[in-house]
Amino acid sequence: MSSVIQTSTDQDALLRAGIDRSLRHPVMFFLTSGAAWLAVSIVLGIIASAKVHSPEFLAGFPCLSYGRVFPAHINALVYGWGFQAAFAVIIWMMARLSRKECTAAGLILTAGHVWNLGVILGLVGILSGNGTGMPWMEFPAFTWPVLLFSYFSILIWSFIQFRVRPEGHVYISQWYLLAAMVWFPWVFITANTLLHCIHGHPVMAAGINAWYKSAVIFLFFTPVALGTAYYLAPKVTGHPVYSYSLAKLGFWSLAVIAPWAGMQKLTGAPIPYFLPYVGAAATVLLFVPAIAASINLLRTTLASPEVVASSPALRFTIAGIGGLILLAFSAVVLNLPESTLPLAQFSLSGYGFEILALYGFFSFVMFGAVYFIVPRVTRREWLSRRLIKIHFLFSVYGIITVALVALFGGLQQGIGQEDWQQPWQGAATRAYPYAVATTIAWCFILFSNVFFFIHLTLMWLRLGRRSSHPTLLISAHGHGPGPHGEEGDIDNAGPGHMPAH
Amino acid sequence: MSLPNQTPDLEDSINVTEAHGRVVREAAACAREKRIVDNGIEPISLWAFVACGVVLLVAGGILGTGGRLFSYGSIFREGYIRTPAPGAADAGPVPKEALAAYMSKGAKIYSAKCNGCHGSDAKGNGSTFPSLVGSTWVTGETDLFAMIILNGLEGPVSDGKTYGVMPPQGIGMAAEDLAGIMTYVRNNFGNATGDVVTIDMAKAALEISAARKNAGKSVTGAELTADHVKALPGDVLDPKTLLDPITLAPAKAP
Repeated sequence: MSSVIQTSTDQDALLRAGIDRSLRHPVMFFLTSGAAWLAVSIVLGIIASAKVHSPEFLAGFPCLSYGRVFPAHINALVYGWGFQAAFAVIIWMMARLSRKECTAAGLILTAGHVWNLGVILGLVGILSGNGTGMPWMEFPAFTWPVLLFSYFSILIWSFIQFRVRPEGHVYISQWYLLAAMVWFPWVFITANTLLHCIHGHPVMAAGINAWYKSAVIFLFFTPVALGTAYYLAPKVTGHPVYSYSLAKLGFWSLAVIAPWAGMQKLTGAPIPYFLPYVGAAATVLLFVPAIAASINLLRTTLASPEVVASSPALRFTIAGIGGLILLAFSAVVLNLPESTLPLAQFSLSGYGFEILALYGFFSFVMFGAVYFIVPRVTRREWLSRRLIKIHFLFSVYGIITVALVALFGGLQQGIGQEDWQQPWQGAATRAYPYAVATTIAWCFILFSNVFFFIHLTLMWLRLGRRSSHPTLLISAHGHGPGPHGEEGDIDNAGPGHMPAH
Repeated sequence: MSLPNQTPDLEDSINVTEAHGRVVREAAACAREKRIVDNGIEPISLWAFVACGVVLLVAGGILGTGGRLFSYGSIFREGYIRTPAPGAADAGPVPKEALAAYMSKGAKIYSAKCNGCHGSDAKGNGSTFPSLVGSTWVTGETDLFAMIILNGLEGPVSDGKTYGVMPPQGIGMAAEDLAGIMTYVRNNFGNATGDVVTIDMAKAALEISAARKNAGKSVTGAELTADHVKALPGDVLDPKTLLDPITLAPAKAP
């Protein structure tokens, strides 16, 4: 009997291993190039941040002036790292959940190269002074059809896999990922058509732009990260998801609320004036889906604290959920029209909110997924626990500093800006110490991500550990294994599993 | 189970072991995975409801402050004015006396345009840049002084010496800038004429400068003494008049 059960789970494991193998190159391509773009984006972010407090820094290079470097930083972060990490996670997770091998790895890989080409051209466009000046859409206009085309070429296969999946239950992660896959083209096509093809009133265009930014965060990055977290939490701990009804509440409230958010950025501008108020109210209400998902995921994982402590995937995911909770509270605190919204409207706070969403929440969950997925697709274990710990600690300290400094420094700066009887210099002076702190914190994040990139590249080159034991942050045996795994574990088979021939 | 050589009497057949060995070799990470179970049936806790309820109230309050949100009769809110910082509520900057108001405007222009040559003490360097302190052309007739600033100067100056050529400074200069800089230099660095060159006078100076015979060329001492030894036309302003320091218009009565 036991051998029958053994064999059926074995076959199941072989099926999953087959799915992983079919996706090895696309997934590793997206993750590695994403990590490289992340490092590039952070370098650009450091330059931009340094220019805020030391305007003479690199002043001789027109292509590195603040007005070009800052959009290049954000766009590399969003389109270079964020989207590519999301692609890797979506194609892998949808294949796993639909239990279908990927048959289009070559096409996905090609489309991935086209996407990267689009990002490179877009960044060259920004740095050479041909950016459009629309936040998060600074890439020259010709790139957006390129990005859209490669987006569809990459993700259409996941739709097909979902369509032909074995009959049965649709898991929570699939809700979120499918929704994100549909919502993003809607948002992207709407914004780009309205801003590049139809020339409406320029003030309204700024409003659409603000909506686009908010929608990319809450209708793409947020559902992708939540879908991933809903996959990792029960998968790694082995516990069922805490509450199915809470999951439903979280998903549908996000779907209903998120499309309304964003236009509060234009408070006081001559656009129909219900728009900023509805935007502010919707952004505040995003607290509901964020908290519903956070409670659900934390209750699922924290039931087994020892797993959270030892699993890199889970530790990063929990940190990301922490970022989501912080994001939910700052969404409420920063959007009160009579008090904080005017302070946050044109100051560092907006940047802090975006970085918190992109890095503190989304990227951390993506890192968690990377630490889970990569050993499976490469069939090698992570090389070094210490590298993972460096990545985690420097990232956490860095992002806490960047986000908190930008949120609160932004409020300080906003008070300076509001005092219109004082010269504008006063606002800059108030923001100065916060700008210095931001530069230093970005340096920490850069340090952590350079190690992450190196670690990931070594894994893609299949230089990972050949072992059947995962690389955990805390050794289960009280003493850590050597750099090559457990004693006698150099070959593929684990101890006690040597074939008897 | 359709493994070909499976023998029923051998529980742990060698093939099962082999198949399992393959799993261990090729799919160790997949084999140790746990299965996902999603149907937790815990109820939503009360405090989560309360927290969400509070946020709903906040959001409702925000919509409430928007007034008649969906009234399409008014496209945007009438008279939207950013509220000033607390403590600075009574609108309008503090009025200043005319002389001080003009001089603080002039100080900025001086440091941008004049400081480089004439120096922060306006004493020049004695060889290429003449001193402005005590110069009769500076403290004398306003028309003459204005022409030098606007058009630059070639040849000997009021003390008879020839310094370097002064380039024209009038390009893009607004009347209020000219008025500010003239008032500033005539009442600073030891000069003290005590009068204000008003914006009206500066406007007149710009017109006179544009109507010169050699418009576009630097003025010379000969041209200045021939044509420009006169005061600029315009009403004299009492230097004690209270002005709005930004617009330089007379301040409203308190």
